[in-house]
Amino acid sequence: MSGKAFLVDTTKCSGCHACQVSCKQWNNLPGEKTEFFGGPEMTNPAQLSAITFNHVIFFPVDRSNPEKPSWTIMHKKCYHCQNANCEVVCPQKAISKKDEWTVIDQSRCIGCGACVNECIYKVPHILEKDMMKYGIEQPLAKDKTYKCHACTSNKRDVPACATTCPTGALTYGDRVNIVKRAVDRLEKVKKNYPHASIYGLNEFGGLHVITILKEKPEKYGLPVDPKPVNAAKVQQIHDVYGLLAYFTLGIPSLKRAAYRISKNLVG
Amino acid sequence: MTNHWIDLKNADVILMMGSNAAENHPASFRWILKAMEERDAKLIVVDPRVTKSASLASLYAPLRPGTDLAFLGGIISYAMEKNRIQKEYVLEYTNASYLVNPQYGFNDGLFSGYDPGKRNYGDRKSWTYQLDANKIPKRDKSLNDPQCVYQLLKKHYSRYTPEKVEAITGCPKETFLKVADIFTSTHKPDRVATIMYAMGITQHTVGTQNVRGFSILQLLMGNMGLAGGGINALRGESNVQGSTDHGLLFHILTGYMPAPTAKNHPNLAAYNKSQPQTSDPMSINWWSNRSKYLVSMLKAWFGDAATKKNDFGYDWIPKVSKPAPYMVLFEDMLKGIIKGTFLMGTNPIVGGPNSNRGGQALEKLDWLVAVDLWETESSIFWKRKGANPAQIKTEVFLLPAASSVEKEGSVSNSGRWAQWRYKAQNPPGTAKADLDIIDMIFREVRSLYKKEGGKLPEPILKAVWDYIHKGEHEADPHIVAKEINGYIWSDKDQMESFMDLKDDGSTACGNWIYCGSYPGKNMMARRGTGEGPGSIGMYPEWSWCWPLNRRIIYNRAAVNRKGEPWDPERAVVKWTGSKWKGDVVDGGPKLGPDKKNPFIMNNEGVGRLFAPGSALADGPFTEHYEPMESPTVNTMNSQKVNPAAQIMEGVAGQFSNPGQYPYIGTSYRVVEHWQAGAMTRNLPWLNECMPSMFCEISPSLAKAKGIKNGDRVKVFNGRGNVSAYALVTERVQPMNVNGRAVEMIGLIWHFGQGGAATGDAANLLTPTIGDANTMIPEYKAFLVDIRKEA
Repeated sequence: MSGKAFLVDTTKCSGCHACQVSCKQWNNLPGEKTEFFGGPEMTNPAQLSAITFNHVIFFPVDRSNPEKPSWTIMHKKCYHCQNANCEVVCPQKAISKKDEWTVIDQSRCIGCGACVNECIYKVPHILEKDMMKYGIEQPLAKDKTYKCHACTSNKRDVPACATTCPTGALTYGDRVNIVKRAVDRLEKVKKNYPHASIYGLNEFGGLHVITILKEKPEKYGLPVDPKPVNAAKVQQIHDVYGLLAYFTLGIPSLKRAAYRISKNLVG
Repeated sequence: MTNHWIDLKNADVILMMGSNAAENHPASFRWILKAMEERDAKLIVVDPRVTKSASLASLYAPLRPGTDLAFLGGIISYAMEKNRIQKEYVLEYTNASYLVNPQYGFNDGLFSGYDPGKRNYGDRKSWTYQLDANKIPKRDKSLNDPQCVYQLLKKHYSRYTPEKVEAITGCPKETFLKVADIFTSTHKPDRVATIMYAMGITQHTVGTQNVRGFSILQLLMGNMGLAGGGINALRGESNVQGSTDHGLLFHILTGYMPAPTAKNHPNLAAYNKSQPQTSDPMSINWWSNRSKYLVSMLKAWFGDAATKKNDFGYDWIPKVSKPAPYMVLFEDMLKGIIKGTFLMGTNPIVGGPNSNRGGQALEKLDWLVAVDLWETESSIFWKRKGANPAQIKTEVFLLPAASSVEKEGSVSNSGRWAQWRYKAQNPPGTAKADLDIIDMIFREVRSLYKKEGGKLPEPILKAVWDYIHKGEHEADPHIVAKEINGYIWSDKDQMESFMDLKDDGSTACGNWIYCGSYPGKNMMARRGTGEGPGSIGMYPEWSWCWPLNRRIIYNRAAVNRKGEPWDPERAVVKWTGSKWKGDVVDGGPKLGPDKKNPFIMNNEGVGRLFAPGSALADGPFTEHYEPMESPTVNTMNSQKVNPAAQIMEGVAGQFSNPGQYPYIGTSYRVVEHWQAGAMTRNLPWLNECMPSMFCEISPSLAKAKGIKNGDRVKVFNGRGNVSAYALVTERVQPMNVNGRAVEMIGLIWHFGQGGAATGDAANLLTPTIGDANTMIPEYKAFLVDIRKEA
């Protein structure tokens, strides 16, 4: 598998939130109005959203070894699956690969939620409110779906999040080298964390975000051996949608209804 | 920092104590993790709670707030007991072999010369060396004389046993011993430890002595002057290093020259007479040059008006009549002594201790000028909870300031690198650079003095004040930088080095330690990326570093008396027999390590395991005392609190006792917010990550008080009430103190009632008491209670 990739090394993350903030800055995304909610810990906002493409997740600390407390802080964004379910299920062909990255073309998106429902990582989100009120110059459109596009819509050599990471917990490079580095690093990390693991080598044909974890992936809610979507069933839904869409006159809300009906019909 | 940020990569052991660098200095972890990955360096984090830094550590040791000296005393004791010291270094480069005055004594927490009535060591004559006929300190190089520093040190610290350390600090003995073992492994010449500290060390009644504890340890290990070593103060603001360099504290002038006092230094001769002296031919005693730096500073300030006849205008600079740190200023406002105040880039209602009292102090002012990017809590102090605006007569002026990217100038980082920055855009509206604000005010005051006269007009009328080019309207920071650098008075030629400064009025220099930063060319604007000598990452052509672009200070101590680096792999400098190679060497390039002692800023030229004379207000060795507000008794001696810490009369009855307020309160920062929050609590991206005031408590305290994670709680004591969210976390645990479990409540202190994200200020709870030397407030250890909010 070729192309670029990110390496998330949770053994080096200090939870500074710089990736989350620099993503907003580079992509001109508004801040979310949040309130303290007990995270766990300093997690905020609660999850990824249509205006939050990078997220720093704090897990509870494990003090079973009092001299070496284990506190995992994990950078999360779209994993950019090689065989992305979201891409397969989109009835509008709004999701495609741009270089190796899975990106959404908002001009085609109708906000039907197919990708939102199908992504097991809960990455894409539909923008439900008009974000103009935040005074952001480049407005995001309501009822469209958004997620990380690896800074491809606002091109730069290294995506903003990886540029800004101060500790080396988030890096970027050719996937071949990233995988090699991850495997090497895992060996070293295992001295301190015997159950350490790598996530993303093979899931969905290989992810473009490789994560080094202190424990097994399940502990961090990352599904092991996830299944691709049922292509035959998706095709049936798309076939029905194709027929119904003819009557929607291109009106997004009618298109969304058409998609819902297609899905229900196929069952 | 004696060293610098990149140099952290050269360490074998990193002791982080009183610092949560992952939160407050996140970029440092690039270099720490590099050391851990490439050198197998060990990071030890000693902290009351599991912090982000602790989560990245090789070894975490808990410690009750305010007990650092028991912990450090324990490590010193361990090193002496096990003879894990760098013997040659200790013998040659410290005062271990120096004989101490037989009158010196220590008994039950008090050093000789204590005056209980005044609560100070008025008589420090016994804290001195025995001198020979040539006035050179007597030495016993066998280190056997019971009056030698080595023996006194050994005796003093032998009381700090691992059992004592555990009982006082709450750190389990086994963990403490592991810390001591790893840290003292660097006594070998080719193993080096660095120490990183911040406000967790300084903001105590024993703050200065905490740093002294580090000094003693690093001298015993032979870690000063070496790459990967040193004592590294991580400064809180990006340019706070620059501000102290330029004399922004009450007790110093520019370049750390002591501020003259009215009592001891009525004229220039008296000031110069107080200059450190030595008779020891081995000592460089750099401060013997002080008169040149002072006169050059006066010449830069007063120009042609500064002549030999009038002491170069010495009479025109203020003399200290009493210590005037932050807390005293606010007490003086309360008393009506201070009638007007400028707040520039400071927000005391959030950042100052005991902030209800701080607010009452501002109410007494006739006028207040707040210079900031946003309206701050301090500029709207009259709107705060409990204040009655109708009763407050203070006239408040708010001057909008430019942010750091809206003006040009230098910023000095913790590693002493002065880096020139450019203006990226114009400030909005009528906002102005601080330099322009000061310039405009000064010129206006001068014109009023010219028209109307006034008290002591000379400094106003005679100051050299010419920072605007002809035809321009704004002051030019380059002119200021050139004046700071210094020049030959006669032909205005920019100078290269403070070695050429004179005390006859022929040279002018605003700040001697910055001499060489702008010798014609602006060295601070350099961006050369060559790594420089060795592979230790000195980057000598990146920006400019004071003094004289020296990247590691005390670097003469990086080699033995023969001039060979203690660790050739990480050589900082090397003496070839005729010249120095490597970093810009300390103390002048001519004489080798066989001829001169390395610690050039001490008049004896060696590192001080025992701090003689009047260097410190509270003792030549460190000693554990409890914080002013402590949940327990002092088991090391009968003194409860640092006996030299000054208690101000107005607040003497204000301290909390553990019967009423049983929990330890402590305060700290989070990465998302900056100091008192004016710059960050107005930014949506940062407020999104950290929107609210919260406190951290242990699951056991939460259970006892019926508090759940995310509940609203009230934290309170006699000084104030703070409403906050509770973060219930395993990262905080009760500490076993003298046989009893004590709970702790940690509060972030960034919040206040102004700006976009609001919350109560933690400093409503902190006491008005400070360190015996610096009077920095004791923000890190106080007493509180907590309850769930209805």
